[in-house]
Amino acid sequence: MGKILESLKLTIISGILLTVIMVFATEAIYNNQVSAPEQAASDLINKM
Amino acid sequence: MTHEFGLFLIRYLHVISGVMWIGLLWYFNFVQIPSMGKIPDEQKPAISKVIAPEALFWFRWGAAFTVLFGLLLALMNGYIVEALTLKEPNIGIGMWLGIIMAYNVWFIIWPNQKIALGIVEAEASAKPAAGRKAMLFSRLNTMLSIPMLASMISVQNPIM
Repeated sequence: MGKILESLKLTIISGILLTVIMVFATEAIYNNQVSAPEQAASDLINKM
Repeated sequence: MTHEFGLFLIRYLHVISGVMWIGLLWYFNFVQIPSMGKIPDEQKPAISKVIAPEALFWFRWGAAFTVLFGLLLALMNGYIVEALTLKEPNIGIGMWLGIIMAYNVWFIIWPNQKIALGIVEAEASAKPAAGRKAMLFSRLNTMLSIPMLASMISVQNPIM
């Protein structure tokens, strides 16, 4: 980590990579948050 | 003062403080640190004794007021709990990154800079280590500022 932070270029590249990871993490968190009506609909479909 | 004007005012103050904070963070990392090696030794005190202490004053208070106005804005908009518990991850991740960065400024970078710049009494042998620690955490904040700003903007213009 120290080696990366000593280099400004590597710091910036790491920041961009973190941004990409954050975008996918945000999407994953949203997808895991199923609302109550959506859950009820999902349960109903599964019972059919 | 209407609620709408209050929201405008607090957002305006949040952005102004943020520009002060991140502007100086990037000044340190993109300009001052890379240039120090090119400055003759007899001229270095101009940076370490005059410019850096002044810049650090506006830097740390910019950080404090950015977080303060940001939290106030989230409270006034009614999403502070959802954001901090990551039920609203778009803004929530950015808020947490900003809070971690402000913590680094006040509790790691500033105390170590005080030692490195000779603002507080310390053994001469402690100065290089303090300077290096302050520099590395300043770089860490530069790294975190990239996703933090992306998160803040993505509330208005979603990335995906």
